[in-house]
Amino acid sequence: MAALGARRLLRPGRRWFSETTPGDPSPTPGPLYPPVVASVTAKSKAAKWRRQERFKERVHAAATVEEKLRLYGKLQRPKYMVYPQTFALNADRWYRSFTKTVFVPGMPPRAAAAKAPVAEAGATPEAGGAPEPGAEAPGAAKTPEPAAGAEPCLDMGDLRSLTCDALLQESFYQNKKRPFLYRDQDHTPGPFLTQLVSTLAAFLSGRNPLLAASSLDLKPEVNYYWHHGEEVVVHGHRKGRVDPVRFQIDDNPHLQIRVPKQLPEVVPLESDLGDVPIIDHKPSKLPLFKKQYENKVFIGSKVADPCCYGHTQFHLLPDRLKRERFIRERLEDQIEVVYRSNGIASLFAWTAAQAMYQGFWNEADVTRPFVSQAVVTDGKYFAFFCYQLNTLALTAESIKNNPRKNICWGTDSKPLYDVVEDGNVKGFNDEVLLQLVHFLLNRPKEF
Amino acid sequence: YPLFQRGGPQLRIFRPNFFMLAVRPGVPQPEDTVQFRVSMEMTKVDIRNYLERIYNVPVAAVRTRIQYGANNKRNHRNQRVKKPDYKVAYVQLGQGQTFQFPNLFPEKEQDTETRSFDDFKDKYMEKEKQKQEGDPRRGGVPDWFGL
Repeated sequence: MAALGARRLLRPGRRWFSETTPGDPSPTPGPLYPPVVASVTAKSKAAKWRRQERFKERVHAAATVEEKLRLYGKLQRPKYMVYPQTFALNADRWYRSFTKTVFVPGMPPRAAAAKAPVAEAGATPEAGGAPEPGAEAPGAAKTPEPAAGAEPCLDMGDLRSLTCDALLQESFYQNKKRPFLYRDQDHTPGPFLTQLVSTLAAFLSGRNPLLAASSLDLKPEVNYYWHHGEEVVVHGHRKGRVDPVRFQIDDNPHLQIRVPKQLPEVVPLESDLGDVPIIDHKPSKLPLFKKQYENKVFIGSKVADPCCYGHTQFHLLPDRLKRERFIRERLEDQIEVVYRSNGIASLFAWTAAQAMYQGFWNEADVTRPFVSQAVVTDGKYFAFFCYQLNTLALTAESIKNNPRKNICWGTDSKPLYDVVEDGNVKGFNDEVLLQLVHFLLNRPKEF
Repeated sequence: YPLFQRGGPQLRIFRPNFFMLAVRPGVPQPEDTVQFRVSMEMTKVDIRNYLERIYNVPVAAVRTRIQYGANNKRNHRNQRVKKPDYKVAYVQLGQGQTFQFPNLFPEKEQDTETRSFDDFKDKYMEKEKQKQEGDPRRGGVPDWFGL
């Protein structure tokens, strides 16, 4: 029986173990079997990892930026709505932990041309090398700085008169009815801010060609959607699964200036200027609430717009976040928190959305820092912020080996004037105006 | 409360009949947040005034919610038994103060007498259990099994 079986195996034409028929081509070295990878549909961690890798490859391989954004925000799930203008206590600490931002008080030191004005924590020297004109030397009798080169100096008198004109027009000369309940900000400070910024931008565009090519948006919309950290789903049919914590910022700045060229970086990409606060509690303790709706990423204009980089945003604080209200409730320390949280959240959303418009996302981190500026005001008090986005990788997996942090420089709020009486503006503060002008004149070196 | 009309007197309550119970939070809360169970009729303003005026506790923010008590249990007559509803208040303290709910049942230090008595008790219980189990050489087989 065993012999029969052996003879059946030794049929002619079949190669037996060590026999090789001569004249055959050598066998091709390619793989005989398809690669052994995890399943795509199984209920296992390896399968989940493979599904995530396939999603990342799809986004990397997307042809256009619109397609990338569409795939990035395709899956809708409940997410935390982050409001830049919030009454929550100590919100700026929480927002810094959500966005991995370091807060540095004071304005960043600009390159070269060091001069020391009479400023407090606010105004700092303007950027630019020695041949750069302009913002440096105001009119002769106003401040003790020397005039710069052959370029025309900035006349503080002109700028001050522009500002006072706008202020008086809105608050004194124009006959307005009494503001409706809780609509004080839309009555006077809103139009004043619009008028001020548009006239200053027009006045300084001769000096700063970037402003001449810029685009000024009125009440634009800025949105950004991102993941940060992980949590376990508590209720529902997905209970027990580990999900990324999703955030969405939907912001409406009062005014926005977008430019075609990016602002220069303030510090190198990998610099470490401080610590990011780590908060162990769930974001809902801030309080922050969840909702599910469209995952939008928007800078104020669509992707095809040539002015795709941000320059300056102007935010107006609403009535429910007035100084008087905080003082009445004995929460004086929260006044500055409101300005800081607004600056950090709005600027993070804007710079990150600009980076996404250039094709970066949390798996393809930014290769150059994105810089934007913002002014947060309630009509009288101005606070200035400058944000440098160094990293977009905030998901639980990409944050592990990412030493980069985003940086936000910010000042305390200072009054522009003391009071407006009988057609006169009393107690005008030149430094605030100077800082505002510095902001508007900020531009890249080669422009 | 009497209805307030413009020009009327400010409502003042002396010796209110409200009670606030500080509870241990079920989920971890931030350091400046204290959790209370309060009466269903109390408002956020009431809670703030209560803590500030009576206990001199600086209050920065108050948030409330009403916890619905379930109605699923049944008694011996198959009637539904409701657990009562209650209002929960999350109070954020002002001036940077923090609060941690204390451990109300800490481990007590045992003196030598109680320790030796506990050892004796454990040994006695072990001996009793051994007597109950039976001969270990029979490998768990009961003693009525056999020839």
